[in-house]
Amino acid sequence: MTSKRILMGNEAIAFGAMKAGIQIASGYPGTPSTEVMETIASHANKYGIYAEWATNEKVALETAVGAAYSGANTMVTMKQVGLNVASDPLMSLSYIGIKGSLVILVSDDPGPHSSQTEQDTRAFGHFSNIPVLDPSTPQEAYDMTKLAFKLSHEMEIPVILRTTTRVSHGCADVITEDIYPVSRDIEGFVKDPRWTIFPKLTAQRHPWLEELQVRLSDRFSEYFQENSFNSISKGNSKIGIVASGVSYLYAKEAIKDHSETFSLFKVGTVHPFPEKAALEFLDHIKDLIVIEELDPYLEEQLLQLIGKHHLDVNVHGKKDGHFPVSGEYNVDVVIDGVNSSLKIINTDVPSLSHSSPAINKENVPPLPIRPPTLCAGCMHRTVFYAFKKAAGKLKAEKINTIFSGDIGCYTLGNAKPLNMVDTCLCMGAGISIAAGLSHTHDYQEGNKAKQVAFIGDSTFFHSGVAAIISAVYNNADITLAVLDNRTTAMTGHQPHPGIGLTATGVSTKIIDIADVLKSCGVDLVETIDADDLGECIDIAKRAMDFEGPSAVVFKGKCVGITKGDGQYVVDEDKCTRCRICVSQLGCPAIFSPSNKPPAIQDNCTGCGLCAQVCPSDAIVLKEDRQ
Amino acid sequence: MKFDILIAGVGGQGVVLASRLLATAAMDAGLHVTTAETIGMAQREGSVTSHVRIGDEVCGSLIPSGNADLVIGLEPAEAARNIHFLGMNGSIVVNEHAVMPSVNGSVKYDPDQVLEFLKSNCQDIISIDFTQLAKQAGTYRAANVAMLAAAAGADLIPFPPGDMWNVLEKMVPEKYRDVNRRAFDMALERVSGIKNPEQAIDI
Repeated sequence: MTSKRILMGNEAIAFGAMKAGIQIASGYPGTPSTEVMETIASHANKYGIYAEWATNEKVALETAVGAAYSGANTMVTMKQVGLNVASDPLMSLSYIGIKGSLVILVSDDPGPHSSQTEQDTRAFGHFSNIPVLDPSTPQEAYDMTKLAFKLSHEMEIPVILRTTTRVSHGCADVITEDIYPVSRDIEGFVKDPRWTIFPKLTAQRHPWLEELQVRLSDRFSEYFQENSFNSISKGNSKIGIVASGVSYLYAKEAIKDHSETFSLFKVGTVHPFPEKAALEFLDHIKDLIVIEELDPYLEEQLLQLIGKHHLDVNVHGKKDGHFPVSGEYNVDVVIDGVNSSLKIINTDVPSLSHSSPAINKENVPPLPIRPPTLCAGCMHRTVFYAFKKAAGKLKAEKINTIFSGDIGCYTLGNAKPLNMVDTCLCMGAGISIAAGLSHTHDYQEGNKAKQVAFIGDSTFFHSGVAAIISAVYNNADITLAVLDNRTTAMTGHQPHPGIGLTATGVSTKIIDIADVLKSCGVDLVETIDADDLGECIDIAKRAMDFEGPSAVVFKGKCVGITKGDGQYVVDEDKCTRCRICVSQLGCPAIFSPSNKPPAIQDNCTGCGLCAQVCPSDAIVLKEDRQ
Repeated sequence: MKFDILIAGVGGQGVVLASRLLATAAMDAGLHVTTAETIGMAQREGSVTSHVRIGDEVCGSLIPSGNADLVIGLEPAEAARNIHFLGMNGSIVVNEHAVMPSVNGSVKYDPDQVLEFLKSNCQDIISIDFTQLAKQAGTYRAANVAMLAAAAGADLIPFPPGDMWNVLEKMVPEKYRDVNRRAFDMALERVSGIKNPEQAIDI
């Protein structure tokens, strides 16, 4: 039986995996990939699946690898930068292969909307010799997930299912099939030298791996006859278009009034590139327009193929400047790129036209800029402000403070007026960067600086532990502030090892961050609730004054998942219009109309930070006022 | 058949729920639908949009500029920020309740000026303080639901109010159903004179 429902692309992938008989799932949250694991975890009990959040992507992949060695059907989920963390096991795994099945779901983020890079996982597939499937809709994501499991099992290799934001975080009507509880009949681990990588084994397997690429390329060429993931439609000109993923749909819409003109090569199995099918397609093509977000991956494959076979085909894309090399695409971007290409193609095909907007954007009155910011009542604001104050005291002692941030909601501490993130690079880097900075600043007279690193609870478990051990081992003079709001907030509130719950809601041991820090050799470790500003400033200063590695674990709640503590109001009689609450905190609940006292809006959650900074006691709890 | 709706607002206003409700209504009507939503960092009080594309054919989820049949702005500035999406015969439903940024920078945001701009440039516009209306119904958070009701009641979306409510009833948790029902009905009432609501809701 099939049914039709509205599913987010990520949910569709989870349903595809469950239909394919997934038994073991691991992953680490990361936008835009997170909902795949969340959906599997929420169905785990019903279908008998083991699902977990691992501490990081490397651990997640290795966990899935272990299960796959036993013959289990497995999936691991992460965002594109997560694959960088998992790249160590990934690069070796392609030589070894697996038993059972292993699908690696990786979500790319053109734009980027919520990432530190615009990297392209198709390139990673090429680099690691692992096949990559690239769906263009949630329905294709569902169907391709099943194909990925099938391919993985049959070829005994991992398969990457790569999505982009618009596939993962778009919803559509998706046809799914009935799902039944999975079989727990897993063959089990069989001892065999094939599971132990050695230089000799790698040397033996490498020719097989390269030969596999050719076999897969041929197989993917055959898909053009067999399934809808790969397709060719022939037009009446000698101009061809090649596209994959969502770009294929943008291309189709861009040329909708001239669809009989262009030949269209749609490829869903992007790596290894289906060369035989592409050669056939190129047979009647003189000019080729390649439409793809992120890297010019398809363009390079085609240039290489055309060169190898000495074909007389001109290729237009990113490399000759017709299409943007970065940023997210849409129909308008594609129309511009096609028109730019058509200009230098010797053809009478007319240029494509944009729809005319009803209202000219140029005439819109001034609009406020709304950068993302810490939520009203977020505990991170209190901690950042406390360190700002403590740093002010150090400044009086002629010592600067450098704040190294990390990846999570608290990256938003960089926004004015807090301005508390001086460096941010990748998960867990704040501690190590602070350590590196400490070795350059501690001996320069007149350039003394204290190093403070901020890290969230989930990020601490992800990659903070090795960094703090190294800092202690090498006696780096840093202060670590752990922002422990007891959830992985930015990605939508997933549990982590500090909470006492697993991905499927099972009670488990709580790993106490302060205990970890102590056992790593940090001599000064303090824990405090992040609600009394004065106490937070004192403890921050004490930790910063300490010579050698020190740490404070600030505990609080995430306002995204907890009830507020009432709301504050401004007593207009007491307010002196000093605007400290507005100019110092950047709380989105406080609005400052000109010539009037600040006003506190509906989104106040009652943290009381503004009341604590008000020198006139003019900010009071609503219920006290009434 | 093709119908594109652009929903714009500030993170936390319920843009994602509004787009899911419309998508479900479209599927229930036997049409294809795709949405593109803002999830992640920008949700934290930033400008957010959802694109909802309804039609006979599957297409990419982002609406090309000048293609939207309807712009739903949960906040005046956010409606204006995305106004280039509005097509020639498109309409606007805008919430007059402004969300003022805490730190305004150098820009002076005047919501009345923005609303006036929208009204003078679009004939087919419903401009109501939906937040105030929702507050009267019981919670300011139901402004998104009130706006969908207004759009359906004024015949600006391809589903009648009754169908829209059926979806809401299915998707909104039971404990919030009554307050949403009140907001829905009050919004319907407000637009009852605007267009001929033949398909008046069957309660």
